Amino acid sequence: MTVGYLGRVGKSLIGRTTRTTVIAAVCSLLMTVLLGASEGATPSVGIVKMAEGTAVVQRGDQTLAASAGLALQEGDVLRTGADGRLGVVLRDDTRVSLGPETEIRIDRFLFAPAQGQLALVLKMARGVAAYVSGKIAKLSPDAVHVETPVAIVGVRGTHFVAKVESP
Amino acid sequence: MLLLAACAAPKPPPPPAPTPSLFVLLPDPSGAGQITITNPSGTQVLTQSRQASAVPGPTGAPGPPFVLADAQIQQIFGATLAALPPEPAHFILYFKGDSDDLTPESQALLPKFLQTVRDRSPADISIVGHTDTLGDREYNYRLGLRRANRVADLLVVQGVDRSTLDITSHGKNDLLVPTGDQVSEPRNRRVEIIVR
Repeated sequence: MTVGYLGRVGKSLIGRTTRTTVIAAVCSLLMTVLLGASEGATPSVGIVKMAEGTAVVQRGDQTLAASAGLALQEGDVLRTGADGRLGVVLRDDTRVSLGPETEIRIDRFLFAPAQGQLALVLKMARGVAAYVSGKIAKLSPDAVHVETPVAIVGVRGTHFVAKVESP
Repeated sequence: MLLLAACAAPKPPPPPAPTPSLFVLLPDPSGAGQITITNPSGTQVLTQSRQASAVPGPTGAPGPPFVLADAQIQQIFGATLAALPPEPAHFILYFKGDSDDLTPESQALLPKFLQTVRDRSPADISIVGHTDTLGDREYNYRLGLRRANRVADLLVVQGVDRSTLDITSHGKNDLLVPTGDQVSEPRNRRVEIIVR
């Protein structure tokens, strides 16, 4: 009877351990998937390649010092001071540079060509900037524009510079 | 005296005319470019390189195109242009059939590829794996991803942070050389890398 009882306890213990292991494995897998998913929730839209002098990236209420390698997100505001310059490249190969006293917001960036989702809107509040089109402009020129306080610039696969005086 | 002073009081100076904003189309390596400058008062289209339009303000129509000399472009925009990052570098590495092993020819290209990654560091790098049309979509999606991850491994060994790499697979859906289905084509068995 004791042997039988121990046998039954032994079986249920093994069963429980196995179940615990399986549950632990599933939880850990779920955590990995969830964490992975949350990391992917703020995808990078580009990267700072060059920063000189006073140059920052404003993200919500955070102000980050811009430096080469900083990953950019949709909604970021790029800003330079009197001695500042910034060079950035976006995921679709669009290149933008900012001269001194310049502010540009990456208002919208959508690059999923397989799903036909393409959009690039830059809001240039003031200053001096250079722009070279990437794939979004080449695949869908109407999907790209640069908004300034004085005019909106529509872009067709191209390179231009702008000096915007804020009114 | 006071009256005279009052009569002689200077009128306030007129407000200065706002400085116009300037938009200039520049030469584009990939061919003819075009920008359209629009506000509620008008539209201007620039189609020739070095053409510029001045916009007096939010309510002034964009001015007619005029050509800016190189020296003027350099003076206003030179420092800003110099801060533009270089054009992204593209690489294609090829693989043996049904494998994530590089062909010998692509193995030989590795030093140059890795040197470019080092030279451009910190870089934003996209790695897209592809296959030919042998096999089904699901199999080739996975094979393409294995190939892309193999290239990512090479970069990680060089010290690149894997979390900064954009690694994807287009499987058999994005052929470099169009073929029918179930066709072996070495030039489609590839990984395309863009180093920004």
